[in-house]
Amino acid sequence: MSVYKHNYRAYTGKLTPGWTRILVLARYGYAEAWSSKITIGIFILSLLPCIGFLFGIYLANNPMARLLLGNHNQRVLAINAGFFLNLMDAQFGPALVLAAWIAPRLITFDLADDALPILLSHPISRFGYVFGKWVALFASLSLVTWIPALVLFAYQGYSSPQPWAAANVPIAFGLVAGAVIWIAFLSLLGLALSSWVKWRVVATGAIFAAILVPAGVGAIVTAVLRTKWGWLLNVPFMMSVLSQRLLGIPDLAGSQPSLPTAGMTAMLTLGCLLCVAMLFARIRAREVVRG
Amino acid sequence: MNDRIIFEDVSKFYGEVLGVNRISLTIPSGITALVGPNGSGKTTLMNLMTGLVQPSSGHISVLGLSPGSATEFFRDVGYCTQFDSFPRGLTGWQFIFDSLMLHGISKTEATRLTRESLERVQLGDAADRRIAGYSKGMRQKTRLAQAIAHHPRVLVLDEPLNGLDPLARAESIALFEELGRQGMHLLISSHILDEVDRIADRVVLITGGYLIAEGNIHQVRQEVREKPMQVLIRCDHPELLASKMFAINHCVEARLHADGKGLLLRTGDIDQFYSSLNGIAAEGLVKIEAVAPADDDANAIYQYLIGSDGSAL
Repeated sequence: MSVYKHNYRAYTGKLTPGWTRILVLARYGYAEAWSSKITIGIFILSLLPCIGFLFGIYLANNPMARLLLGNHNQRVLAINAGFFLNLMDAQFGPALVLAAWIAPRLITFDLADDALPILLSHPISRFGYVFGKWVALFASLSLVTWIPALVLFAYQGYSSPQPWAAANVPIAFGLVAGAVIWIAFLSLLGLALSSWVKWRVVATGAIFAAILVPAGVGAIVTAVLRTKWGWLLNVPFMMSVLSQRLLGIPDLAGSQPSLPTAGMTAMLTLGCLLCVAMLFARIRAREVVRG
Repeated sequence: MNDRIIFEDVSKFYGEVLGVNRISLTIPSGITALVGPNGSGKTTLMNLMTGLVQPSSGHISVLGLSPGSATEFFRDVGYCTQFDSFPRGLTGWQFIFDSLMLHGISKTEATRLTRESLERVQLGDAADRRIAGYSKGMRQKTRLAQAIAHHPRVLVLDEPLNGLDPLARAESIALFEELGRQGMHLLISSHILDEVDRIADRVVLITGGYLIAEGNIHQVRQEVREKPMQVLIRCDHPELLASKMFAINHCVEARLHADGKGLLLRTGDIDQFYSSLNGIAAEGLVKIEAVAPADDDANAIYQYLIGSDGSAL
């Protein structure tokens, strides 16, 4: 038998708040995501449309450039909600590509390396783990969606000879809200699918498939049943319509099916809940199942 | 009972597969070794204790804390898993430092504790190398450093000596012994029974998900009454001693030691045996130099209670 001295002292120093621990996971998830040159390549390509829109704003506000273009049609260079809707539509695609590339790096590696037990043996919950990864992905997608959109909005406000920004604050709100909904959904979807597929390439494909296949099925449903409800399976379309409404652009009669906002919101919420269920079914620290 | 680890009628089933069944245990401070064959439920028991899997029934309390509340629980518990797995791309330093940050320790303190724990496992020089480039023993040490870095009150170590060379093994054992002496709770699973003997104050034997025995090794051995105890006696006339001891009913086997200066005796009643031996020594015909139990160790207990193929019971 040992003679216990009982002089061991557990750590009793100050502890940081719980939310900062989640940021540790987010920080390292973010670093992991951006450690790949392919991520940087996708990011640069994702910003090309923004550069095009930036050039558009420059042209719209530069009298010499407009004169050189002939200045025949004011609408082509009008910087309004429609202009920013086009920007949003253009950025949704690159955000999907970036999510499909990054999300598997955040979770699939931990699953493949069996690193969850060691990570979850810390004062963080499964929710904290998933939320940390989600924050990392959300922050990465923000770099190609609402952040450049707001930069363009600010540039337009700066370039415009009239006091433009103050009069168009709802556009900025719509830009951020639309982008946040899209990337929040994409982040959850990306993490959920990545948590079920250990092979990263397959996870990337699954993320594309989860967006594109239902859209195709929805198109078939719409065509065969002659109903507009098939569009509820088309997430990019729903996001475009939602963004349009958030930017305050009225629906153009006859140009597209008019889906109720509540229906689209319900579908996106359902998708998010499904993703959450998938994540919590999969993100477990269990190491050994005998049998 | 806030200074003990308590399992109350804990069972865990993975679907229809039994993990552990109706385990009731109370573990005080010091070193407790969890011993059992592969697939006996040792890791399940450790995962249950650390809240990484939830029990199907029963209740677990670790120093008064519930494993379900990760935030409070893991401040006081360090867990070193048996699996050679780490988050990708980190150096040894980053891994320990991140771990401490996840424990909610400030950067300054985390830097100090990271250095301390890495030095404690003799990994200070390799701290800035990526873990992927470490040897198996170094990765084992890194996991151990991660488990002790935040100064937990309870340390759960799943096969912590696997992959270590003899020197590293000796260093690790010395560290466990030091922590155990200081009053920390250490629960260690191991297949290396000789080392279990050296380091453990108590053993918990488990097989097929069932608890077979628990307690001080010597007490457990004495409880195994159906297996006669073997005692090694060093003396000048082993043959004479053998003949005298065989006159006693409870002595069932005698074997001369290979060097001819000792005798291995088996007895069904150890108390009576020592009493008789005392009498023989008092007669002065045999000069007894040493008496020691020969099968009063973890290895013998394991063989008697579990067997080499895990089917003794």
